[in-house]
Amino acid sequence: MDRTQEIVKQDEKNVEKTHELYEATPAVDIYENDNEILLHADMPGVVKENISVDIDNGTLSISGVRKLETEGAATYEEFSDVEYVRSFSVPQTIDVEKVEAELKDGVLRLHLPKSEAAKPRQIEIKTA
Amino acid sequence: MFTRISDIDRLFGTMNLLQRKLDNLYGNYGRPSGYRWELKSATPRINLYEHGDNFEIRAEVPGLKKDNLNVKIQGNYLEISGERGSDAPEGYKTHKTERGVGSFSRSFTLPADVDSTKVEATLKDGVLYLTLPKHEAAKPKKISIN
Repeated sequence: MDRTQEIVKQDEKNVEKTHELYEATPAVDIYENDNEILLHADMPGVVKENISVDIDNGTLSISGVRKLETEGAATYEEFSDVEYVRSFSVPQTIDVEKVEAELKDGVLRLHLPKSEAAKPRQIEIKTA
Repeated sequence: MFTRISDIDRLFGTMNLLQRKLDNLYGNYGRPSGYRWELKSATPRINLYEHGDNFEIRAEVPGLKKDNLNVKIQGNYLEISGERGSDAPEGYKTHKTERGVGSFSRSFTLPADVDSTKVEATLKDGVLYLTLPKHEAAKPKKISIN
């Protein structure tokens, strides 16, 4: 589809959504080697229970909800409760069963291992 | 033209879409920002709350260890500084690096003096919490009516 058309279309197919929380896009780093793809996402203040990672039909979606208890009056506030949402297209070569996720110091780290078939293989050349 | 807040929201949505297209076009040239069309700085975002005898400061510091953070207090002057190193693994190719690295420093003048000996700082889930008890003279006092 033409890019300009896509922008125009966006308005028409926009469904009014209700938001409980602001949605924010977490900053991510993505690395890759022969065995896996690594994804690091900044989600400060999000606890393990409030994170969901889904892989469905080649789309990886991560979502994390931050709910911090506040006390007293805010003199100023630059961040608030937020829902971190972001989705990525992942290649079909990812072994979905073996995906691992860890959360430490507000950084979500995802290991997406490539399936055996997708790993590069060195072919040995036999001398006749 | 704009009759509802959702119209403006939609306009921003279109701007975000354009931004994303441009980001894709340039790959990771520069730093595609996580927060789009918002005021943005390299320093961590900070909240300041005041309740009774205490001030409470919260700062977003994802991925930082307590050794990377410094908090200095003098009277009503507070300085938070730190450094975030890269956690890029060895031997990997890089696709995206949006998470900033480097050092930052941020200082404030608090609304009142704090007792620097009783300040408590905790780091949890990438958020720094500072509890700053107010100095005796600045605490709220109850006046009894004779």
